[in-house]
Amino acid sequence: MNSTPNVERPTSNVQVSGSGATSNVKYRTANVLWRIIDLIVGAMFIFAGIAKILNLDQLIADLHHLRFASAFADLGNLSVADPAEFAHDINNFRILPWIASVTLAFYLPWLEIFCGLGLVFRVLYRGALAILSALIVVFTLATIAAKVRGLDITCGCFGHASQHWSLLAHLATNLTILAALVLLWVSSRSTKTS
Amino acid sequence: MKFSLTRQAITLAVLALLPAAGEAIYFQDKISWRSPIPPSESVNVDQARAWGENAIWVDARADEEFARDHVPGALSLNEDRWNELLPQFLAAWSPGKKVVIYCSAESCDLAREAAERLRKEAQISDVFVLEGGWEAWLKKR
Repeated sequence: MNSTPNVERPTSNVQVSGSGATSNVKYRTANVLWRIIDLIVGAMFIFAGIAKILNLDQLIADLHHLRFASAFADLGNLSVADPAEFAHDINNFRILPWIASVTLAFYLPWLEIFCGLGLVFRVLYRGALAILSALIVVFTLATIAAKVRGLDITCGCFGHASQHWSLLAHLATNLTILAALVLLWVSSRSTKTS
Repeated sequence: MKFSLTRQAITLAVLALLPAAGEAIYFQDKISWRSPIPPSESVNVDQARAWGENAIWVDARADEEFARDHVPGALSLNEDRWNELLPQFLAAWSPGKKVVIYCSAESCDLAREAAERLRKEAQISDVFVLEGGWEAWLKKR
């Protein structure tokens, strides 16, 4: 009884092998592409979180000027950043009371790191996507609101490395990340439904 | 599916809370939860007045506001003309003198930023931000 389907299977495999193999390659290619986007977006958030916890200014400056030997040496001299600086960056938006700015200064970097790791390792993936999408939307709205109110804000998004970014640079970065997150949402939904 | 998403998000939020709490405990003495300026770096009008000749008053507001009115004897040192005004300030300052910086009100950030720059760039440690700023000074004038 069991042998019949086994005998028939190679025939059906041969029949579908042409289109099946093609779709399999397409599926794998798409999968690799999504993984690359996962890794890039995840790494960006991990970096953003670490840049608020550690002093990376010198390291970033060295990497920016392609001084790799100095950058390598900087890795050994990393120090913990002053959370008060990020708290002031948040406070400058004049949206939250000081106590909330301090709380977020401690909490946000770790949330970004954990969610970034969620994307990289595909653990708690959809939860990480949801939180990061919400964060990016809130950051973008807060940046626009601050500009409309004429506030001269310094962005703490990527630590103090990003403090001199223009509004356009902020928005372009945020919207690009948001677009990538939306794509990942769509891909995760289609993977789930297929 | 919805529950799973919510549960995942809550799990991540709680996980992030743990190192954040640890960091907050580690930095408890270095950051004030009550005010952007730690008590050790601020001074009220009465205390600053009591320092008398031992203090230099610095106005961190914009030029127009300084020109309109300022604390008697105060020097202007604002962000816009920092490099230009800093030598004037350094000429008037001497080691041992306390620096009292103010901007327009409690909510303004200019005095704190100027104080931070003086500590970092000029290596002056006795720099204090006036609580309540210019408004507090006017009330007690």
